Amino acid sequence: MTPQFILEGTVVGLAVGSIYALIAVGFAVLYKSTKILNLAHGELVLFGGYLAIALTTAAGSLPVPVAFALGVAGTLVAAAVLGFGVERAVMRPLFGQPLLSVIIVTLALGYVIRGIMVGIWSGETRTFPPVVPPVTVRVASVPVPLVGVWSAAAAVALLVLLTLFFRYTRWGVSMRAAANEQLTASSLGVSLRRVFAYAWAFAAITGAVGGILLGLWLGVNFALAAVGLKALAALILGGLDSIPGAILGGLAVGVLETIVGGYIDAHVRLFGHPLHGFKEVTAYLVILLVLMIRPYGLFGTEHIERL
Amino acid sequence: MAYARPCGDFKTSYAQDVALLDVRLYRVGFLLLVAGLLAAPWLLGRWLFLLNDIAIFAIGATGLSLVMGFAGQISLGHAAFMAVGAYTSWFVTAELRWPFVVALPASGLVAFVVGAVVGLPSLRIKGLYLAIATLAFQFLVEYLIVQTVSGMGGTPVPPMDLLGVPVNTEVRFYYLALAVWVGGAVLATNLTRTRVGLALMAVRDRDYAAQVLGVNLLYYKTLAFALGAAYAGVAGSLFAHYNRVIGAEHFSLAQSIDYVAMLVIGGLGSVWGPHLGAAFVRSLTQVLKIAAPLLAATVPMLGRATTSLREVVFGAILIALLIWEPGGLATLIRKLKRYVDLWPFPH
Repeated sequence: MTPQFILEGTVVGLAVGSIYALIAVGFAVLYKSTKILNLAHGELVLFGGYLAIALTTAAGSLPVPVAFALGVAGTLVAAAVLGFGVERAVMRPLFGQPLLSVIIVTLALGYVIRGIMVGIWSGETRTFPPVVPPVTVRVASVPVPLVGVWSAAAAVALLVLLTLFFRYTRWGVSMRAAANEQLTASSLGVSLRRVFAYAWAFAAITGAVGGILLGLWLGVNFALAAVGLKALAALILGGLDSIPGAILGGLAVGVLETIVGGYIDAHVRLFGHPLHGFKEVTAYLVILLVLMIRPYGLFGTEHIERL
Repeated sequence: MAYARPCGDFKTSYAQDVALLDVRLYRVGFLLLVAGLLAAPWLLGRWLFLLNDIAIFAIGATGLSLVMGFAGQISLGHAAFMAVGAYTSWFVTAELRWPFVVALPASGLVAFVVGAVVGLPSLRIKGLYLAIATLAFQFLVEYLIVQTVSGMGGTPVPPMDLLGVPVNTEVRFYYLALAVWVGGAVLATNLTRTRVGLALMAVRDRDYAAQVLGVNLLYYKTLAFALGAAYAGVAGSLFAHYNRVIGAEHFSLAQSIDYVAMLVIGGLGSVWGPHLGAAFVRSLTQVLKIAAPLLAATVPMLGRATTSLREVVFGAILIALLIWEPGGLATLIRKLKRYVDLWPFPH
């Protein structure tokens, strides 16, 4: 493992990781304020990617950057509407029901969303019209596709925006209050319904942005839904209820799978067989190890047990 | 006797109190159910494969119900245990050339040991964190299958042979699966009302409190995982010989999640739950699988969209069912039982 390999891995890994981090933050916000683990998150990512591509292509007569901007704006609005709709139609009747039932409902919701998307857009990989010129730039003397730099920048910008939202706006503060202690927040006048609705809208929007960024980079196909799970793994690594943890977890998963997974994929042989595809497993193995040492993730609040 | 549970039906002994079928109506009902299952090949005809499919997954779901419903440990790697059983069975029959009679218990045993090992982290990792740890196991097993034995394709499994009788028809397989299914279900039901089951439920409700009361957490948590895995292993062995070909896609994460769905739909912490859930999920899957092409043939306009229609309908039915009754089918049955008990009075 040469220093050059590690450097390259770190840069590319950070770029991918920033997208994971963004998706994981959506997860974390939803988990913190509603305690629901959203198994439809991968589908929300797909939804963003596909819809943005469809809208951008539909506006094809306009110049590409304008069409793309319109497509993204349309997707974000649609994602917000989807988030609110899901909360109102499916999650509100289940308020206060056993958690596992609610989690299975999110899974079923994922089936529905995916089924509808397959029906509309069928299964093939789709790509954006050339929004970003397909060139590589050098970051710290490492060649990175320009798309990677863009998506990392976009993810960072969005993370900053989210942080500011949670810190300074009225709704951000009430969402944090609800996340901290639902009953207390509720008795202090925070509308839990509205907080839940916002949390779902947030999850849908961050998922959609993640989908758009990944779509710009790799194109969108249905394998992308696995990214939702990887974001979940990143979130667990950082600690389920910690937003900085989700960000660091996402970056760590991106870097780890690029460096460790990439190295093992390319160089390690077991009984003479090369280990293809180890990259996909690396993140989970690392998480297993981390959890054995820190059962609540790196930054999760430790649950102190008493009788 | 007009009523299911007559007035003054007092229980005077411990045996009466813990009896599984305490009223005549339930005893008769259970006998009718068993008789119906025994007669199923004549009743269902060529649709018997549905019941075979349900039997296999109900055995697996019973195992998951011990882990999740009774011991309260979330597992997202149940299909991986099924894979362990399936590949053990394949190894024993195809490579060692030992009979199926050895392979079936061997699959259960190997899965039991693997389950105990995988269950060890549950002492330290809890709740959703544990779910992710089991997810890691799931991905690892899928990866190992693809890398070592099956590759991206499948591995052929030799036909079944039970003490010289070839199990080569749906009907023969059905009676074998039924025996394992009912045996496994009775064993699990008995477990839940004896020391082990009570200890598991104590762990589920509050593991720390259970420990204070003298429940050995190390023993019971690993036991729950090991037993659950053993059931999945047996189901995997049956599946391998029924399907005759096994590959990574049969034991994918989607299957693991389907198991969790079966359990939640059936009802957690109920002995009937896994069977009802498996029956519901599997028959819904199969019916939609059959109905979709029919629909495409009658309404050609839908065309390609029917394949995705299956997913949409499946998801929508799950959502509707769980919004209507979040406790699952077992809660519905409990309400029905209560209604029958009190009939003809409303309460």
